[in-house]
Amino acid sequence: MTTVSHAVWNSSTEGGDRDALYLRRTLRSGQRVDHDGNVVVFGDVHAGAEIVAAGDVLVFGHLRGVVHAGAAGAETARVCAWRLEPVQLRIARMIARSPDRGDEPSVAPEVARIEGGQVVIERADRADDGRVPRG
Amino acid sequence: MGEVIVVTSGKGGVGKTTTTANLGTALAQSGSRVCLVDADIGLRNLDVVLGLENRIVYDLVDVVEGFCRLRQALIRDKRLEGLSLLPAAQTKDKTAVTPEQMKGLTDELRQEFDFILVDSPAGIEQGFKNAIAGADRALIVATPEVASVRDADRIIGLLEAAEIPPARLIVNRLRPQMVRKGDMMSVDDIVDILAIDLIGVVPEDEQIVVTTNRGEPAALIQGSRAGEAYRNIARRIKGEEVPFIDLEETSGFLGRLRRMFGQA
Repeated sequence: MTTVSHAVWNSSTEGGDRDALYLRRTLRSGQRVDHDGNVVVFGDVHAGAEIVAAGDVLVFGHLRGVVHAGAAGAETARVCAWRLEPVQLRIARMIARSPDRGDEPSVAPEVARIEGGQVVIERADRADDGRVPRG
Repeated sequence: MGEVIVVTSGKGGVGKTTTTANLGTALAQSGSRVCLVDADIGLRNLDVVLGLENRIVYDLVDVVEGFCRLRQALIRDKRLEGLSLLPAAQTKDKTAVTPEQMKGLTDELRQEFDFILVDSPAGIEQGFKNAIAGADRALIVATPEVASVRDADRIIGLLEAAEIPPARLIVNRLRPQMVRKGDMMSVDDIVDILAIDLIGVVPEDEQIVVTTNRGEPAALIQGSRAGEAYRNIARRIKGEEVPFIDLEETSGFLGRLRRMFGQA
């Protein structure tokens, strides 16, 4: 477990100015990560695991657990995963849950963020919320 | 020096005790000196599955508390020379033993046996902590059910935290026909979710019910599908490369044809 001094995205998120936490591991059921900034996981987050971050949460792997980005209230926080299939996803004070049945498996990297008072999920390569400049 | 292997699962009723009894039997059959330790204090079962209940005089708690010597509590199996059992106490509970005491006990057993298999209780509390205290490695038993796989995942995380090397997985009670119809998780699905190495797959087998009730492990019976699977796992524990039985093998003319062309 290492902490480095730069956030991954040049983040304007209130919580994201702080150090990002980088994890290279599998988070299994019952394991929980709390961090006062962005969290970047290189590995899978299994169902039953929890990540709570003041900033963004990026998962370079399969996200099946519960994740809370912007836990201190940052509504600009987002969750990005190579495969985004969380049981429940929270951003700031919004809670989104997976459909009760018949959800299609995720096939591409996706980003979840708040837009118009609800959590929206879109393909990472098509997401454009103005936070990350195009170019 | 013997090796201590804990058999655990998190969830109850997935076949830890049956697995421990059968793997111990298969290992002893192949010439190893094996001691089975029942760490499920207060709910002992391993003696019943092995048909040794009537031979118990002293138990694990008696040894730990110094009422008897370890040797006095060990029960020799009635069929196999190399197999012994250290039974659990039935009138005490998990708090009767500490992890340190369990570690001392398994270290003592290492001197005399090649393999010490510890049958863990269900759950993640004291009993589980006792069971893994002296373990060199772990075998995780999971059935093809979401709840069982979820609990196995939790246990794997706890074993990692306890710095026990990566556990290996036994998928128990697989019903190939249901998998084929898409009604049951496949072995690949489970391995995919848990991300650990597989050491064996035990098919659902009615004979297990009969043999466990009779106190005769299925591993002793030739022609039992589950028994064969357990014998293969025992060989893999000893480091042998044993090919996996293809339980999902397609049958019938088309299946044979596919096999001939190496596709099945």
